[in-house]
Amino acid sequence: MRSKLSKIIRMEFRLTAANKLFIVLTILGPFLIGAVTVLPTLLAMNNSAMGSPETKIALVGADPSFVEAVRPAFQQAKIRVSAVDGSVASMDAQIQTGAYDGYMVLPKDLTTVTALEYVSKNAADFRVVGVLQGVIGQSVVSQRLVKAGIAASQVATLTQSPGIATRQLTKSGEKKSSDFLTVLMTGLVFAMILYMTTLLYGQMIGRSVLTEKTSKTVEIMLSSVRPMDLMFGKILGKALASLLQYGVWVGVSALIMTLLGPKIGVTLNLGLSLATLGYLLLFFLLAFFLYCSLYAALGAASEDEQHLGQLAWPVIIFLVIPVVMISPIITTPNSPFVVGLSLFPLTAPIVMLLRISVGAAQTWEILVSIGLLLVSIAIVIWISAKIFRVGILMQGKRFKFAEVIRLSRY
Amino acid sequence: MIELRSVSKSFGDVAAVRDISFSTTEGEIFGLLGPNGAGKSTTIKMIMNILAPDSGAILFNGKSISEADKDRIGYLPEERGLYRKVKINEMLLYLASLKNADPVAAERRLDEWLERFDLKEWKTRTPETLSKGMAQKVQFIAAVLHDPEFIFLDEPFSGLDPISTDALREFVLELAGRGKTILFSTHNMEVAEKICSRILVIDHGREIISGSLAEIKSRYGHNTVVAEFDGNIDFGTLSGMVANVTRYPRWVEIELAPSASPQDLLRTLVAQVAIRRFEVVSPSLHRIFVEIVGGKGAKNDSERMSE
Repeated sequence: MRSKLSKIIRMEFRLTAANKLFIVLTILGPFLIGAVTVLPTLLAMNNSAMGSPETKIALVGADPSFVEAVRPAFQQAKIRVSAVDGSVASMDAQIQTGAYDGYMVLPKDLTTVTALEYVSKNAADFRVVGVLQGVIGQSVVSQRLVKAGIAASQVATLTQSPGIATRQLTKSGEKKSSDFLTVLMTGLVFAMILYMTTLLYGQMIGRSVLTEKTSKTVEIMLSSVRPMDLMFGKILGKALASLLQYGVWVGVSALIMTLLGPKIGVTLNLGLSLATLGYLLLFFLLAFFLYCSLYAALGAASEDEQHLGQLAWPVIIFLVIPVVMISPIITTPNSPFVVGLSLFPLTAPIVMLLRISVGAAQTWEILVSIGLLLVSIAIVIWISAKIFRVGILMQGKRFKFAEVIRLSRY
Repeated sequence: MIELRSVSKSFGDVAAVRDISFSTTEGEIFGLLGPNGAGKSTTIKMIMNILAPDSGAILFNGKSISEADKDRIGYLPEERGLYRKVKINEMLLYLASLKNADPVAAERRLDEWLERFDLKEWKTRTPETLSKGMAQKVQFIAAVLHDPEFIFLDEPFSGLDPISTDALREFVLELAGRGKTILFSTHNMEVAEKICSRILVIDHGREIISGSLAEIKSRYGHNTVVAEFDGNIDFGTLSGMVANVTRYPRWVEIELAPSASPQDLLRTLVAQVAIRRFEVVSPSLHRIFVEIVGGKGAKNDSERMSE
């Protein structure tokens, strides 16, 4: 005969997974995560890739041969340049009508130029300004060099500045290609997934425990099972459902990245080595159980949804801290404060994961962090089962900690 | 058999149950009676091991109640509740499975019970749409679906219409006839009087009276008269003859003073009203209850016997 605990787990799993919202979220999750984390970065990084229309720029008074020379460079950035003759006033009018997005007056002799002016309606379009700066600037420097007697064929190699690649030294001594942006992206995605799932499931279980009280099923449940069984059953049932959802999300996200990544010109290297994936899973589970048991305790202690929301605020803050502090955590992963955060159970899962992904975490730190998390989870579940049982006696009354301690001594 | 020995329970400064002792025997219907807040629910919760007593012992066939014993108990809590989003048949079978009931037998019994309570068409619906009375019937089914030996019902009749009350009363009698031990709490004396073989009356957590119904009635069997009539009685003319009167619109329950005889009373009444019925009876449980709880307050049995 199956144990009562497994029956509760099955029921809770079914209650969670056979829910319309759950199914919709499971399917839409990867897209939502993508929208929240990846898209803004993509947009900032590579506007042209997102299919924005061509920008038309008039180069006023420019030598047509010069325009032909720079045209390909502009073309790459989806900017079409054309040589135009006309007064400033007529150009202003053409900008207003939308014939051009912007114009720049170029003098006949570019080699003596120290400042140029770009006029457009959207002065904040730093992408276009950046391209203008690069292409026109490069041409001006080249012309000066040619004028100074350097062979045109040598100009390109002479003005080429070296690219800087970053390599992360891993513990095994191997150097792998990595850059700040990739680590930031990796950390951001990890943190967001952890943050969103723990928040989502934590609140779900908090509400579920609360519902057990408000729907008054708790007594009938406790007439059949132990409070600890009910609590563990609820948390484990929801954990399995969450793992299912999580698996779908990770799988679909990976699939989307693999299929669509190359097409939009951005390959997202999340740096998911097998070890990191293992840590991700481990810390996800630890974070999940810690926050779910915390929320379960809060659900048992609160009397309605509003009260639960109030009690949950301090918990949510600990989830938000690491997300807000991602940048300092990645850049100074070994500062005492960050190390402290990576050991403190409530912030440990996300912060330690970030430190691991930048390769800053010592093995003993990881072990201590995991140990502390496990101990906290055990303590919190024990306390929440206590509160849960005591909570039955306190229906309709606000939860006072001293009262719980007193009542739980039976 | 369930036995309570000097069980007490306090919540902070409030003594909810004080020194309660009783035991039930197989196949009997035991009524736990008392006004609201008397400690009935607390007592049942302690027997269910949902609350732990501060002192005293609760024995289940001579031993402390174990988790396995819970499977042999059916419980209808005072707080009625069902998972709102789960279909009724699923919910009930889930609860039965948590009592380790045989799934096939539980499903067969489920159909029987739904049929008997006229809830068949609700089988695969969620409780959200149930009326309060229907939800209560569903919960009664939850208490008995695993075919328990012991059935604890906390205020099972509250909120039921007369037809459902009759139906439920019949089921309770039938279950007792099949050898189940039934313990139920109520403040409804009429129902208790109709089905209980033994009762325990508590007030403010204390035992007021206990024993078999017949025994208690004979103990309180002062001269009680029930009279049904048309007209108005001037109760002033009855002074000296009656000790206590419980008035209803068309009839009265009169406890005679020790010196008075029913004949005297009848003569006085005939002069005033048209008598339709006149009967010397044992006092109703309601009368006894009001007398003990309302009139004279909590006194223990030995004091009362010596009065």
